[in-house]
Amino acid sequence: MGYTAGLDIGSAYSKAVVFEDGELVSYYVKPTSGNFSLAADLVLEEALQKVGLSLAKLRYIGACGLGVTFISETFNKITELSCHTRGVHYLMPSVRTVIEIGNQSARVMKTTPKGKVADSLVSDKCATGSGRIMQIISKVLRTDLEQFGKLSEKATKPAKFTTNCAVFLETEAISRVAEGTPREDIIAGLNQTLAGKIGSMVHRMRIEADCVMTGGVALNAGLVAMMEKEIGLKIQVPEQPMITGAIGAALITAEKAEN
Amino acid sequence: MFVAGIDIGSTITKIVISNGTEILASMATPTSAEHRRLAFRVMDDALASCFLSYNEIEYIVATGYGRINVPFADQQVTEITCHMRGINFLFPNVRTIIDIGGQDSKGIKVKDGKQVDFIMNDKCAAGTGRFFEQIADVLGVKLEDIGEMSLRSKNPASISSLCTVFAEQEALLRLSEGASIEDILAGIHKANASRIHSMIGKLKIEQDVAITGGGAKNLGLVRALEQRIGFPLVVPPEPLITGALGAALIARETATKLTPQQLKEKKAKRRLEAVTFFDDPKRGSEIVL
Repeated sequence: MGYTAGLDIGSAYSKAVVFEDGELVSYYVKPTSGNFSLAADLVLEEALQKVGLSLAKLRYIGACGLGVTFISETFNKITELSCHTRGVHYLMPSVRTVIEIGNQSARVMKTTPKGKVADSLVSDKCATGSGRIMQIISKVLRTDLEQFGKLSEKATKPAKFTTNCAVFLETEAISRVAEGTPREDIIAGLNQTLAGKIGSMVHRMRIEADCVMTGGVALNAGLVAMMEKEIGLKIQVPEQPMITGAIGAALITAEKAEN
Repeated sequence: MFVAGIDIGSTITKIVISNGTEILASMATPTSAEHRRLAFRVMDDALASCFLSYNEIEYIVATGYGRINVPFADQQVTEITCHMRGINFLFPNVRTIIDIGGQDSKGIKVKDGKQVDFIMNDKCAAGTGRFFEQIADVLGVKLEDIGEMSLRSKNPASISSLCTVFAEQEALLRLSEGASIEDILAGIHKANASRIHSMIGKLKIEQDVAITGGGAKNLGLVRALEQRIGFPLVVPPEPLITGALGAALIARETATKLTPQQLKEKKAKRRLEAVTFFDDPKRGSEIVL
């Protein structure tokens, strides 16, 4: 079977994985920083370098994501929903529901026992349902996104937000900072707002356990905890929740090519 | 009889001082974080410009988002009523008012000088002044210029997103694809006109239609809305102050109904000292971040 690469070129982050005979051997994640073609080249190079491979060794490349058309190598394009479901299924075969929160969208996917999409719901109309709002608030608070989860667990009194609009939330967050609200409480309040927004989307589907959350936002443990309360199900998070799309792209491409 | 109307909006504060028949002074200034101090400053400036003192103003009506933060006001009235009154005074034939404010947008239906229906969006920045501020910022152009610039476009860029944050990214993407700023701005105005139209459309739009608020100063938006709605809009000579004007008209109407004794009692109750939120000694000044 040899080596297969999977790429997921998102609006905020680019991810690459390398598979050897159906086994994940390497992955790399880096910010897209507005340049899709450069990010695609670099992230693949880094992932290959980690296991001492060159491009020539790759038999297939599968890819998905907003910036997919900017990839310079020959690749097989696969829809994001299929990639994410397949990728999560590879890491956690018992999964039946995937909640994927990316930079510009929120998606809920129901999976078949074989890792195919059974049903899905996508929201990409409003920044508040997406990871984008987290980045906006992290700038306001001058705090790294990676710290959000830990900080929100220390919150004693989550800040109240009266709006769901990302632009107005930013203004409200600035007011809370000016009033002296601790940033832990601001983050916890934001998590609550986001959990409510995503929760209302999840409620429109009849979801089943096991439920897995992916995308960069899944690294925010405070939000995951609030989502669990909101939907009444335990939520699992893969060790690296951002690479499931790339994994799915690699696996589906290899399967298609072999058959 | 001298009266005043003050309209503290989310973005701009407006004031009108009138002698009951004509406007003696009108001003518009950016709203700062501290409404109360600002209310005093604006009132002081407006009074000075027509050589009057607080005591000579028989009645003061405050309106707008910050209306409760005007300590010297004799009465508070919602901005919807005030806009309606202001427009009705200027253009008695107007049946539908579109008000595009700094952080919200509204539609008001008027019949026989009374408000019969209204609709409002303050949940989402799209279709409000805030959207245009963000876009001007991201494109590096002045807010005052974007309307005119958009009208120079020959080939409006496609902007499909209604979310301000996503539209910002879409605008940048179009820039990277080589679209001109004029074309992007035309696309932005078109997208917002459709958003505003779909909100106002929930009311039955009847002619004449007037547009007020900061949005009315944006000729690009006015033209895009006219195209969308299908007939011309009435734009007041100074679209920012219709709310403050309405407040002054209500002030005059109320004052004429009161006896001199009642007016005197009202005036005695005015709080003229600028105690402010930030001066409050009980409030910790420590900022955590």
